[in-house]
Amino acid sequence: MSTKGTKIWDENAVPKHRIQWCPGCGDFGVLAALKQALTELEIVPHELLLIGGIGCSGQIRNYLNGNAFHGTHGGALAYAVGAKMANPDLKVVALAGDGDTLAIGIENFVHVCRRDPDMVLLVMNNGVYGLTKGQDSPTAGLGQEREEFSEEHPPMVDPLLLALASEATFVAQSFSGDVKHATRMFVEAFQHPGFAFINDFSPCVTYNKFNTYEWFRDHVEHVPPDHDASSKDAAWALVRDFARRGKVPLGVVYRNPRRCKRFERLPMWEDELGEVDLEPVLAAFR
Amino acid sequence: MRTNRLKLLVGGVQLRDGVTTVTDLLGKIFTRAGLYAIAMEKGYASTIYGAHQYDPMLVTETPAVSYGDPDIDILVALDYDTNPDAKQQPNRDTVLRHGGFLRDGGILLYDASTGEIPTDDLEARGVKVFPIPARKIAHTELKKEVVKNIIMTGALFRLVDFDNDTAYLTQLLEERFLRKGRELVDLNLQAAARGREAVEKILAERGYELTVRLEPRPAKKAVYVSGNDCLGAGAIAGGVRFYAGYPITPASGILEFMERYLPKYGGRVLQGQNERESIRAAIGAALAGARAMIGSSGPGISLKVEEIGVIGATETPVIVVDAQRAGPSTGMPTRPEQGDLNLVLGSGHGDIPRIVIAPGTIEECYTLMLEACELSDKYQCPVFFLTDLNLSEGKKTVLEEVFAHRPKVTRHAIVREDDVRGKTYRRYEITESGISPRSVPGTPGAIFKTSGAEHDEFGFVSIDPAKRAAMMEKRMRKMDTYLREDWKPPQVFGEVRGAPVIVGWGNTRPVLEEARAVLQARGIKAALVHFTHVWPLRRDALDALLADAGPVVVVEQNYSGQFADLLQQELLIPTRRVLKYNGIPMHPTEVADAVQKALEREGAVVRIGGTAPVKVEVGRNEHEGD
Ligand SMILES: Cc1ncc(C[n+]2csc(CCOP(=O)(O)OP(=O)(O)O)c2C)c(N)n1
Ligand code: SF4
Repeated sequence: MSTKGTKIWDENAVPKHRIQWCPGCGDFGVLAALKQALTELEIVPHELLLIGGIGCSGQIRNYLNGNAFHGTHGGALAYAVGAKMANPDLKVVALAGDGDTLAIGIENFVHVCRRDPDMVLLVMNNGVYGLTKGQDSPTAGLGQEREEFSEEHPPMVDPLLLALASEATFVAQSFSGDVKHATRMFVEAFQHPGFAFINDFSPCVTYNKFNTYEWFRDHVEHVPPDHDASSKDAAWALVRDFARRGKVPLGVVYRNPRRCKRFERLPMWEDELGEVDLEPVLAAFR
Repeated sequence: MRTNRLKLLVGGVQLRDGVTTVTDLLGKIFTRAGLYAIAMEKGYASTIYGAHQYDPMLVTETPAVSYGDPDIDILVALDYDTNPDAKQQPNRDTVLRHGGFLRDGGILLYDASTGEIPTDDLEARGVKVFPIPARKIAHTELKKEVVKNIIMTGALFRLVDFDNDTAYLTQLLEERFLRKGRELVDLNLQAAARGREAVEKILAERGYELTVRLEPRPAKKAVYVSGNDCLGAGAIAGGVRFYAGYPITPASGILEFMERYLPKYGGRVLQGQNERESIRAAIGAALAGARAMIGSSGPGISLKVEEIGVIGATETPVIVVDAQRAGPSTGMPTRPEQGDLNLVLGSGHGDIPRIVIAPGTIEECYTLMLEACELSDKYQCPVFFLTDLNLSEGKKTVLEEVFAHRPKVTRHAIVREDDVRGKTYRRYEITESGISPRSVPGTPGAIFKTSGAEHDEFGFVSIDPAKRAAMMEKRMRKMDTYLREDWKPPQVFGEVRGAPVIVGWGNTRPVLEEARAVLQARGIKAALVHFTHVWPLRRDALDALLADAGPVVVVEQNYSGQFADLLQQELLIPTRRVLKYNGIPMHPTEVADAVQKALEREGAVVRIGGTAPVKVEVGRNEHEGD
């Protein structure tokens, strides 16, 4: 894979040697794949808006070129919706962790899937809270037999099933250990008209000692080429089938472009606004 | 005979009797007739069928300052049978609740469809009683029950000798119903005529003489609008093109207004799926360059608090409207209070620059909103706009000239491509004013990194002590710039030097102006100092203003005296307090009485309506949440 041409993504970004991730963190793979995908898509950095979540993963917004915003834990998707509504021309990507998206941010996740804005959500799923040093996230326990669950340790949330149930129109899965495949998934996500959700398995080498690169290599399996991604039933069946077999699907699980109404950029984003005519408002109150 | 001054109150069963349908119609017609109407002390109980609802209205020839004291000239009772709230007293709920405020010699007009009610005690005070079986007439004669309120309206118009040729009523009915057919208009006009006739008959039988009349004046251009309408119009004129809300009383009206009108101006409205989605989306829209606003009330603002910090730290301009209602918690959703001052002053952890503005009148909901729009853009910090239930949902005749004030909407400190050519753009550049030029995504050469985490000038996260100190100071310097360039001193009525000073803020100004007049009439020369720009405060200016003043009495509608605390803390002066928090708006005479009491001793706290023992009734649920 060539990284030639991806240089542009290093401008306006934290220099490589200052990146704070642990050596070997899966998020490096996501960063590489993301830069590659953006390069292939010839996206212009100044038209890109990266909305970071709170967590190790969310830091990625500063590690590549493009406008970036970073607010509260769990909030990334909702900021992104507002930005996209204000300026549909922007390329908006939310970049967050599994804790950020599926614990504190689950309210936003479910509803943004329904809203179907034309943007990408890239979740770096490591099954733990990395930045706060390794507590369980809602996706903790992937592939682990759990004889009994308890109130303290409920069964994991499957992000794919939740996205499907929430009417997401693009649901895909990738693995940062396979940068080439991840790149392809990111490209397809950007090309999807509507809300594109990618669950990327991004190992936390420091705190998740179970879902390691090795573990993933043993368990990932590509979505079969004959899978009908346009069928919701097939998508459900595929996710269930993989889970039953103890495998993790990589690829596009569901894709069904919903045609959302297209809006214009809101007035007054840069220029002055001419004096408005309030007559239509006043007429109704006379 | 008194001409062109009328206080009336319309009461009935919520969602059934159409109380506000009547008062909205009256307000509109009186406004068109060149008169001034104020209906700002609405009483209702969330949208639960069966509860009592009332809407008082003052009609005057020249603009009144406030609704005034709660006395009534004409009481219109639309309830006509047992309502769950008044099981033992068919048709008497409105009369029982409000009859005591009827002036001696006033008028009671009530729906007598289910029989007449005992009114001896009222008649003993000279009250003229007009029992009109409106629903019965509508049902049996006109075959359409909904026109019962037009019968009552016709009756009321006869009682005040108004619109005898039905010109105003005809025009309004035609506007409303003509597209549904002439018959509907005629039916309504017939109903109005029946109401008149019924009054005519009683007048003849009982020999009553009428004492109040309304007379049309040369009409000026005016509208009958709520505070929510006005602040919505102000936001549109002020450049807001993105609005997000989550339904909550009394801010829902803004959401409805915006959904109706903002798209006509190229804007978009988001009904968030919860409070946080709303404010976050507004932050995102502001980030992308749109002027953005959210509206909510106390419980919703509480939920949005974490994002207030984001707005402050990321320096993203968002206007936050808090239409206050009584708290804490769900409190009293349909009752006014000035109880959220501490919330908006203290919301968010860490120190955040913020501006708090509170309009005093429905007109100011428009004019000050224009200012709020500019301030948010200029200072890139949270700008709170505090109204309350009365101001938000109350309605008033407002001259259209108010809306003629439409300053040019400009952008402050926006970086364009030309500004950054050949330079390195720094989103959080350390500046003298504290304001850093902002770029909008899509601007070539001005890529920004924004973060709510502490950051350096480029927006990269940093915990370097020197950078932290410089960035914190930069942000907070905006408040000094604001105080120098945009702060508005309080409005002062009367001579402060040597006199007792009444201090108020926000929506109570009209009542305080009238309370001051009441005191004046009693020989007490008090000044009134009223704040619309509530935070930050300019200490030097206020110190100078109050240096030679007499005792300072802060009057506000909350339990503790939140603004009084703020003044004490900022100016290091003692305050006396007059406080009301029972859910009923303040009235001039009771305020005057309370101020007089507060002047009697240092450190006095006088509570209005909060000390009487209350009879406890179990099992009555007259006030559900929303
Ligand atoms: C409101 C709030 N609660 C808690 C935190 C602390 N916190 C920071 S990151 C984080 C979780 C991060 O986990 P995840 O989203 O999975 O990202 P990762 O670090 O694993 O990439 C938490 C709980 C916070 N910043 N804000
Ligand atoms: S703690 Fe885990 S997720 Fe965070 S940088 Fe280190 S390896 Fe990555």
